[in-house]
Amino acid sequence: MLGDRPAAPIQRVRGTTDVLPPEDARLRRLESTLRDGFASFGYQGIETPILEPLELFLRKSGDEIIARMYSFSHWNRRLCLRPELTASVMRAFVDELQGRSLPLRLHYGGPMFRYERPSRGRSRQFTGVGIELVGASGAAADAEVLYLACAGLESVGITRYRLVVGHLGAALQLLAQLGMSDHAQGLVLDQMEPIARGRVNPDAAVARVVDLLGGPIGNGVASETAAGLPPTLADLPPEQATAIAADILSRASLPVEGGARQPGRIIQRLLAKARRPDPTDQVRAAFEFVAELHAAAAPPNRLERQLRPVLEKRGLSTAPLDEVTAALGLLEAYGPLSPSIEIEVDLSLARGLRYYTGLVFEIYVDAVDGPLQVCGGGRYDDLVRALGGREAVPACGFSFGLERVALAGAHEDGLAPRRVLVVGVTQEDHPAAIAVARELRALSDVAVEQDVRLRGVKSALRYADRAGLDLVVLIGEREREEGVVVVRDMRSRAETRVSRGDVVDAVRQRLG
Amino acid sequence: MSALRIALPSKGWEDDTLRFLGQCGLRVDRSNPRQYRARMLGLPTGAAEVVFQRASDIFEEVNAGTVDLGVTGYDIVAEHRSEEDHIVVVHGELGFRRCALVVAVPEGWVDVTSVSDLAEVAVELRSAGREMRVATKYPNLTRQFLYDRGMTYFELVEVSGAIEAAPALETADVICDITSSGVTLRENRLKSIAGGVVVESQACLIGNRRELQADAERLEATRALLELMEAYLRSRQQVSITANMPGESAEAVARRVLASGGVVGGLRGPTIARVFPKDAADGEWFALTVVVSEDALLPSVEALRRAGASEVTAIQVRYVFEHRSWTFEALKRQLHGLADASALEKTTAWSSS
Repeated sequence: MLGDRPAAPIQRVRGTTDVLPPEDARLRRLESTLRDGFASFGYQGIETPILEPLELFLRKSGDEIIARMYSFSHWNRRLCLRPELTASVMRAFVDELQGRSLPLRLHYGGPMFRYERPSRGRSRQFTGVGIELVGASGAAADAEVLYLACAGLESVGITRYRLVVGHLGAALQLLAQLGMSDHAQGLVLDQMEPIARGRVNPDAAVARVVDLLGGPIGNGVASETAAGLPPTLADLPPEQATAIAADILSRASLPVEGGARQPGRIIQRLLAKARRPDPTDQVRAAFEFVAELHAAAAPPNRLERQLRPVLEKRGLSTAPLDEVTAALGLLEAYGPLSPSIEIEVDLSLARGLRYYTGLVFEIYVDAVDGPLQVCGGGRYDDLVRALGGREAVPACGFSFGLERVALAGAHEDGLAPRRVLVVGVTQEDHPAAIAVARELRALSDVAVEQDVRLRGVKSALRYADRAGLDLVVLIGEREREEGVVVVRDMRSRAETRVSRGDVVDAVRQRLG
Repeated sequence: MSALRIALPSKGWEDDTLRFLGQCGLRVDRSNPRQYRARMLGLPTGAAEVVFQRASDIFEEVNAGTVDLGVTGYDIVAEHRSEEDHIVVVHGELGFRRCALVVAVPEGWVDVTSVSDLAEVAVELRSAGREMRVATKYPNLTRQFLYDRGMTYFELVEVSGAIEAAPALETADVICDITSSGVTLRENRLKSIAGGVVVESQACLIGNRRELQADAERLEATRALLELMEAYLRSRQQVSITANMPGESAEAVARRVLASGGVVGGLRGPTIARVFPKDAADGEWFALTVVVSEDALLPSVEALRRAGASEVTAIQVRYVFEHRSWTFEALKRQLHGLADASALEKTTAWSSS
């Protein structure tokens, strides 16, 4: 027996939200407006599971996301709640859609999960609504994606926003020019964003990355020389150098072994590590470049003067800038966007996801407490291969944060359906009331509720008043005999008797 | 009248814990050493009920509210905390059972000296078709630590028995485990790596938020307990020095001592009292008392000699009480939900948010 004590209430998981009426209806309307817009450009809906193999996101999603995943082991299978949607959609593409003719246009919407500190506009579960344009590269495809992002926002009434466009090509070229390892490049890319935003002090970022790379000068293993190895040893072919090192280690009785790893591999890696230059200067140079790019960010009409010299000075190709310029040029051709948008090109934009390879972009809306990012996306030409695709397939896409879009456009909403309650005066009148309600449901954009508590007219009217209904239709014994119903307008409290046959028209008229 | 209930760690932890409590002036009294229930004496609020449990179980006991307070390792607290638990860290540094949770690799991996090397080896193993296996009893801390350092390819494995033996038995490649001196690691031919410390730990006192909030008497007993612990911890490394000094007046002695340099001001400043010599011909004498930290003992004695001190005695200070218990003030703020940063946030890295 539980006794009289009420059971303890169960609270929702921290950082998650119960979407209550009428907010839920509003979010659904927003989602369907956005997705209808995508569909008019030939995008088709796709829905992938919320639950994914952990492995999917380890490959290319980037440390920032990986460290914030909800991951767990269920019966020895490593799973996670998806932290983003692009990787899931592309997994489905590789798995089941590779045979389709390209380009393939997909739209989607659904929850994703990240273990972040909750705040306004940031929940641990949130809804992504977006598209992927698969199998098309170049400015033409980028421009379509950019346009759909802007047009999407405008279709839900958001006309003041800032579009920031970047291109990973600039930073990737420099990192390659510096000769950094993949691991090091990844660490630098992850820090680009916080540095450009001024959230992290550049010196601290350099120190952190160098530290994660094993500290300055290969942790004291290497000497001061650039090569890090005595020249005679460095000049030897790798097999000979390995043999010499192995010999020295064994003479010193230093065992080289380690379960799954071959002694040869261990020594090879030891020598390779010693050959590497001190990463500090590389990392510092990379971050200085990021800062320069950010400082040179400019609206499209000033790119030539401000951004091109930054790339040319370093002997880097200006192709990334040309691609951005071309895409923005085509964006104009798509049709007039709202006059109050602001466009900025910032080549330090990195987005924190490891799979982007080309143009990237984010859209911000000014909210009460500062700019709110409502959209992000870009080009990821290597992801299909990384996920096991037969061949490289270029692709580009974006995703809106639905809750943030709702937050940004909090003021506009005229779409809520009107509500009507149909009440039978007594239990005997209930079947007749059901029939009236059925007829009224033919009206579009009207929600017709049936009184089912059967507690009488007074109680039903009190409910209609408190719940904010627009009209109440009453039918009692007398009305049935006379072939009429009573229509009560809840705002003016005016009651009219209308003929039973005219009830649909009468209600439509009053809802105006 | 409800007595404070406190869980103390048994097994390998028991001696250290009882010694610490003894130094704080608290005596644990049990009818026979095999019993796991006892009473703790020494609090002005009355005897507390003690239950002995394994350090690793104490977190759950406190969280469930079967006891109000518990002594356990900070590593255990950090691993088991969740956002929705009822735990408050009442005192995070009891000063004993110091250790660290570290990542350790086989000595034979001569190319691995840092976490970055480890990440590269994980990639190397993966391209050979294997995941790096990390044996640990601290899966939450280990996973977060490795993810935060850009290492994504690894698999946590549960091993039965000694974690340190796992690499030798080839049930894991590397381990993440507790070490205090590093001897066990070396005996198992493992080595720690640069940047491989996941969390530094020592014994700490935790409490159940709801239980402490609900009962003023037990909260008051907690305050008394904290006063003693805090005063004892503050007194360690403090010595009280008393020196006999000749001089015309207390002021003159003070001037001379302060001018001699080197005598640290003590907790506030020297105390000087008049001495009445057995032989009046000896002139005026004063006794000067000052509390200094242990490492300032010899320099202070030298300085006092320069200022004319004859005999100098020094005694270990047992307690240092300040005008209020700071840890108790902090606890009250936590209980009222005013804590600025919860202990959870300290252990979870929110690097960029």
